[in-house]
Amino acid sequence: MLTTSRRGLLRAGGVAALLATVGGGSVLAQDKRMRFLWWGSQERADRTNAALAAYRQTAPGVDIVGEFTGWSDYWPRLATQVAGRNAPDLIQMDYRYIFEYARRGALMPFDDDLGKALRIDDFGQQNIDSGRVDGKLYGINLGVNSVTMGFDAKAWEKAGVDAPEPGITWDEFADRAARMSANKPKPNFYASADAGGVEPAFEGWLQQDGKNLYTDDGKLGYAVGDATNWFAFWDRMRKSGACVPADVQALDQLTIETNALTTGKAATAFFHSNQFIGYQALNKAELSLGPYPTRSPDAPSGHYLKPSMLISVSSGAADKEAAVAFCNFLVEDPAAAKALGIERGVPASAKIRDAVATSLDATATKIVDYIGAITPRAIPLPPPPPTGAGELQFVLKRINEEVGFGQKTPEQAGEDMVKQAQDVLARG
Amino acid sequence: MSVQPTTWVEGPAHRPVARPKGLRLAWGRNAPAYLFLTPWLIGFFGLTLGPALASLYLSFTDYDLIQAPHWAGAANYVRIATADPKFVAAMKVTFLYVALSVPLKLIFALAIAMMFNRGIRGLPIYRAIFYLPSLLGASVAISVLWRQLFASDGLINLVLWQLFGIEGPSWISNPNYSIYTLVILSVWQFGSPMIIFLAGLRQVPTDIYEAANLDGAGPVRQFFRITLPLLTPVIFFNVVIQTIDAFKAFTPAFVISSGTGGPINSTLFYTLYLYQEAFSFLRMGYASALAWILVVMIATFTAISFLSARYWVHYDD
Repeated sequence: MLTTSRRGLLRAGGVAALLATVGGGSVLAQDKRMRFLWWGSQERADRTNAALAAYRQTAPGVDIVGEFTGWSDYWPRLATQVAGRNAPDLIQMDYRYIFEYARRGALMPFDDDLGKALRIDDFGQQNIDSGRVDGKLYGINLGVNSVTMGFDAKAWEKAGVDAPEPGITWDEFADRAARMSANKPKPNFYASADAGGVEPAFEGWLQQDGKNLYTDDGKLGYAVGDATNWFAFWDRMRKSGACVPADVQALDQLTIETNALTTGKAATAFFHSNQFIGYQALNKAELSLGPYPTRSPDAPSGHYLKPSMLISVSSGAADKEAAVAFCNFLVEDPAAAKALGIERGVPASAKIRDAVATSLDATATKIVDYIGAITPRAIPLPPPPPTGAGELQFVLKRINEEVGFGQKTPEQAGEDMVKQAQDVLARG
Repeated sequence: MSVQPTTWVEGPAHRPVARPKGLRLAWGRNAPAYLFLTPWLIGFFGLTLGPALASLYLSFTDYDLIQAPHWAGAANYVRIATADPKFVAAMKVTFLYVALSVPLKLIFALAIAMMFNRGIRGLPIYRAIFYLPSLLGASVAISVLWRQLFASDGLINLVLWQLFGIEGPSWISNPNYSIYTLVILSVWQFGSPMIIFLAGLRQVPTDIYEAANLDGAGPVRQFFRITLPLLTPVIFFNVVIQTIDAFKAFTPAFVISSGTGGPINSTLFYTLYLYQEAFSFLRMGYASALAWILVVMIATFTAISFLSARYWVHYDD
């Protein structure tokens, strides 16, 4: 008797559970639910969530759920979700990774939607093409940025040294930074962060010499001598006190929050122009931004207009039409632009740029002016990074640390860099 | 009823007939137990054994998570053994960590346990307080706290400066010291071996000490001749458990170096290197090979511990 009633109970429970699943399914079916995954700070999350709320007004039947993480956790998460057939419908993409994902069939091409559901012809050809892989469009530009040197002009002024102006050479910059640190306004403070391990800075410096990190056919684009000179430059900077010592730089985890500029150890840092908003939000002092120092007045600028990030649709997205419609909203609708501002970079769409121009605050205006100023001398987009290149940003950081802590000379470091980079690229 | 079990273990002559019957009976009797074990069994086969075997297969492939795995033979293992400087760096860091943190932690735990064993007032409160770090230890929050403590302008350097006038380095961001901050973090979590030691100390009969006192043995001699030998089973248990834990340490290094194992690979724990290969660089096959080497390493150490036990572990029964 007891067993029967227990069985009966189990059966009833099973039926109830089954009903609950069916019921849940039918509730979900009423709303089109989509997931949007991006990386970024809290600032970006707030703005993006505001844009998602605005979209609910525009398209009431569609519910887009946002998820976000920091940059370094983002790629493991995306990769595991894609592998688990659980990819987010909408994916924030980076120029480095779009090639890897598109070539592995994880993304949906937009070509059939161009001019129909996706009306981005006012992007200009270059800004459309920055989302192409092997001729097909897999990513929509979410904003344009470039590398920049950001600094606290007041701190330089207090030390009685002119802040770096556009056109200054690297050697002049090193001299001034050494003098600035010598007259430092407070103890344990330096003119500059140590950018020897910052890959975009190394890239810009190579481009000023007409080279690139990678060649068109995915080989290493620089030689031992180039890397040696780079490490030697920053070694000189450290030894003259112009930039922070190695054990301060080692605390930098390649985030805005841990950068020496934000932690109050340095007056100058090297980052991307759209990040200027994040830096300004975390720094009490008013910051300025300008181009990198140059090799010589007529060398290439080392600045290219980069898609700071792109949006892609997963090839496994259940409702591709709805996903494309949302992408179009994000980059071409003034309501979205109002929420997003230029935190992801300067909008590629001319219409949207004009629409947000009137509502920009002082920080955003500086970025727009900066992008405007470097555009005339901007260099073309470099070749895409080959598979496995993602690891090299960490190799560069580690080898620069080895020089900083006196374990290697710049010459050894240059040789190691090229050898290890070639090893990594050969592995893919 | 009580006759039944003896018939089927009795001897070869009865087996052919008795065994199936006994089995059937045993199954009938045990079926409810298996039923209740089912959730655990599903978990074990589906979430532990299955994935473990899958990773054994993957360790012989190239697998980037997105495309299907691609058979590579022993290439991953060959590369690990012959051409991977990061593997060597990770092994050095891990073995240094195990060799330092396990003995130090156990010595510390034993010392505190002996202090408690002498009977102090409010023992339960102290025990709870000293156990607390073990509950918090592996968490992200504590690792972040550690970062702050050992930073160049952190509390440790403040104390050094105020008390001794020493200007300390930035402990966590200097490759010469960073690993030691992680060893200290591990030693600080001495709570669980301490509780086990305390229980072990309680088992030592007091009359042995009384006899030793009468014979004129001092406290040091008593410790080495009575306490330590009688405690060897507990020490053995703690050594095995703590060594396995130390090999598997991950969170503190991950948080303190933000996943890089830096500066200059000085905190590149084996598990952290494995994680990087798997999730940062999407080399799942290679990471699986690393994981199996870790399994073999831990199994070897445990086997050595067990084989050596007969020479130094003293069971009194």
